Amino acid sequence: MTQMDDHHQIDELREILNGANSSELAALKERIDNVESRTRDVAEVLAPAISKTDSDALVSSLKDPVSSSLKYAIRSEPEDYAEILYPVMAPAIRRAISQAIASLMVTINKTVESATSVSGIRTRIQSFRTGIPYAELALRQSLLYRVEHVYLIDRESGMQVSEVTSEQVEGLDGDAVSAMFSAIQSFVQDSFSRDRSAMLTDLKVGDHNVWVAHGPTLMLACVIQGNAPEALKGDLYDALYKIRTDYANEIASFDGNVERFEGVESYMHPLLQLRLKEGAEVKVGDDGEKTAKRRWPLVVAALIALGFIYVWFMQSSKISTVEYYLRQTPGIAATDVYWSDDRLVVEGLKDPDAKIPYGSFQAYGIQPEVLDFRTIPFRSLEVDMELQRFRNELTLPAGVYLSVRAEKIYLYGEAPITWLTENDARIRQLAADGRLTISALSASFESVSDVLRANFSERDLRTIRMSSAARTDATIVQIGGSLSPKNLTFISALFAGNRWVSVIANKAEVDTRNADGSLIQENADGSLNQENVEDPSS
Amino acid sequence: MLKKKICMVGDFSVGKTSLTQKFVNNVFSEKYLTTIGVKIDTAFINDTKLIVWDVAGRDSLSPINASYLVGANGIVLVCDGTRQSTVRDIKDIWQVVKERIGEVPTVVALNKADLEDWHIDAEQTAYFEEQGWQTFETSAKEGQNVKALFEALVSEIG
Repeated sequence: MTQMDDHHQIDELREILNGANSSELAALKERIDNVESRTRDVAEVLAPAISKTDSDALVSSLKDPVSSSLKYAIRSEPEDYAEILYPVMAPAIRRAISQAIASLMVTINKTVESATSVSGIRTRIQSFRTGIPYAELALRQSLLYRVEHVYLIDRESGMQVSEVTSEQVEGLDGDAVSAMFSAIQSFVQDSFSRDRSAMLTDLKVGDHNVWVAHGPTLMLACVIQGNAPEALKGDLYDALYKIRTDYANEIASFDGNVERFEGVESYMHPLLQLRLKEGAEVKVGDDGEKTAKRRWPLVVAALIALGFIYVWFMQSSKISTVEYYLRQTPGIAATDVYWSDDRLVVEGLKDPDAKIPYGSFQAYGIQPEVLDFRTIPFRSLEVDMELQRFRNELTLPAGVYLSVRAEKIYLYGEAPITWLTENDARIRQLAADGRLTISALSASFESVSDVLRANFSERDLRTIRMSSAARTDATIVQIGGSLSPKNLTFISALFAGNRWVSVIANKAEVDTRNADGSLIQENADGSLNQENVEDPSS
Repeated sequence: MLKKKICMVGDFSVGKTSLTQKFVNNVFSEKYLTTIGVKIDTAFINDTKLIVWDVAGRDSLSPINASYLVGANGIVLVCDGTRQSTVRDIKDIWQVVKERIGEVPTVVALNKADLEDWHIDAEQTAYFEEQGWQTFETSAKEGQNVKALFEALVSEIG
C-alpha cells in the first residue's frame, strides 16, 4: 500500500470515530483559534475567577503591575488625581495645620511661662554657663525619663542591625556605639564573670542608663535618661521577641546586609518613650530622617498658611488704615471698607467738597488706583465742611472773617455795602437756617460814606451822622443827624430796601446814642469816623 | 547598606592604632584601648561601612582578647617592619584568630615603611604568601598604602 492510501484510510477511520461530533470539534477549534472569541470567553469568566482565587496570591501577582500602572497614570495626569484626592487630603491638611498651630501656641505659652519664672531664669543662666541649649535643660528638669536611643545589635559581631533615636536627641554613630556595647559586654563577661551565659543587662553612667535585652543572636539596647519604670524592660523583651519571630530568616542568614531588615524600626519606635514629671506620657518615636520626610508636607502647608496669614494681615491692616483716615476726614462717612478683586472698596456717603486723604494712604503703601470709592453724594453739615463751603461760596472781602466757636460758625467784620447787598439773600438765608451767625457783621462806615459822598455836597455831609446798632440778627449802620427833609428823603430812597443801613429821622434819638458814646464823631477835616465798634471775634 | 566588621590585630606598638586613625572617623578616644582593650571606629569603602575594631596589642603579659574577634568579617594583621619579632609573632596571633573565628579574609600590613632600619625580607614574609594573604608595606605616618590595604580586604570579603 502506498503512503497516500494510508492517509486516506486514517481520515476514514477518524470520520467513523468522530461521526456527528466532527462539526462541534471544528467549532471548538475555531473558537480557540479566534482571538476575539477567546477574549470574550476570558472576559466572561474573569470576574468570577478573581473572586474564587486565593486573595494573597492574587494580591502578590497584581502588586507590581498595579503599582506601575498607578505610578504611570499619576505621572501622566497629576491634575486629575490631585482633584480626586483633594476631598481626602484637604481636611487632613487642615486638621494637621490646626493641630500644629495649637501645639505651637501651647509651646509658646509654656516658653513664656517658663522664661519669666524664677526657675526659668535659673535654667537660662545654667544654659549660658554650660552651653547646653535652654530647651534641652528645661526638658531635662521636667523629665521623669526619656528613651533616647534604641539599638538592635547582632550579638556575635556587635554589628548594628537597626537604630532609632528620639528626635530631640543628637544622633551618634550607631554602628560604633553598638560595637562598643558589644565590646563592653565581652569585656565585662571575660573579666568578671565565670559564667559564660551571664549577660550584661544594665549600665548606669550619671543620669543615663543602658538597658539591654538579650536574645540568642540579637540584643536590643536602649539608652535612657532618667529613671524608667521596670515595665520598660518587659516592653524591650516583647519587642525583641516580635523581631525574632518576624525576621527569623533574616537573622539566621545575617551577613552585614541591614537592608534585609526593612521595617524593623516599627518594632523599636514604641520604645522611644518620654514621660514628664507631671505624669503625661508622650510617644516621640521615629528617627530624624523619617520624621523629617513625614513632616515636610506639613512644613510646606504651614508655610503656605503663614503666607496666607501674612497676606490677610497686610490686607486687614490696609482696611484699618483707610477706615481710620476716612473717619478723620470731614464730609466722608464710610459704612464699609473691603477688598474685592485686588481693589480696596469704600462704600458710604461722600460730600462732593470732601477731600480724600490720598497722601496719608500713600504713606502706608495704599496707592490711589487701588481705591474704589462707591459712595453716594450727600451734603455734610460738619463744621469743617460748612466752613470750607462758605469760603468757596462767599469769596470774603477784606475785613470780613469766618471763624468757629463752640461748634458755631461766625461771619463777622465790616463788609463793603455793595458786597453785603449782593450776598444779602444768601447770608440771611444761612443765618435763618442756623448755619451761620452774623450778629457781628455790618456794613463798613467807609463804604456807606462812599455812597453818601457820591450824592451829597460837603456841606450836607457835615450834617450827616452814622452809628452802628446791634439788632437780633445783625448789626446795622444808622444814618441820622440834622438832616433836611429833602436830604432825609433822598437818603431813604438811596438805601431803600437795604437791611444793613437804617435812616433815622428823629434827631433826638441819634443824640441820645451820641450821649452814650456810640456815635460817629465828625473829624475836623469833615471826614466821618467811628468809635466803640464791637469786635465779635474778641 | 552593607556593614562589615574588621579587626586590627598584632603585637604591642606595631602601629595598629596609627594605621586605623589614618583611615577612619574617630568616634571614641584611645583610652578605651587601655581600659577595655579595644577601640571602635567606622569608615566607608564605597557603599560598605566598615566597623573597625582596633584590638589592643599583644605582649608578654596580656594576650589578645579573642572575644573581640567574634563575628569579624575580615582581619588586618599588623606587624612592625623594623622589628622582626613582630613578623614572627603573626603566626601565633593567626593561630589565636583561627581557633576563635576560623579562616576569614585577611591582609597583612608591614608597617612603619617610612623608617630606615627596615629588617624585613622575602624570606620572613614567605609565610604570608603561603597563606595567600595580600601584603602591603604601609606607613601610618605618610599614609602609604593605607587605603589600598582596606580596599584589598573589602575586595577579599566580597
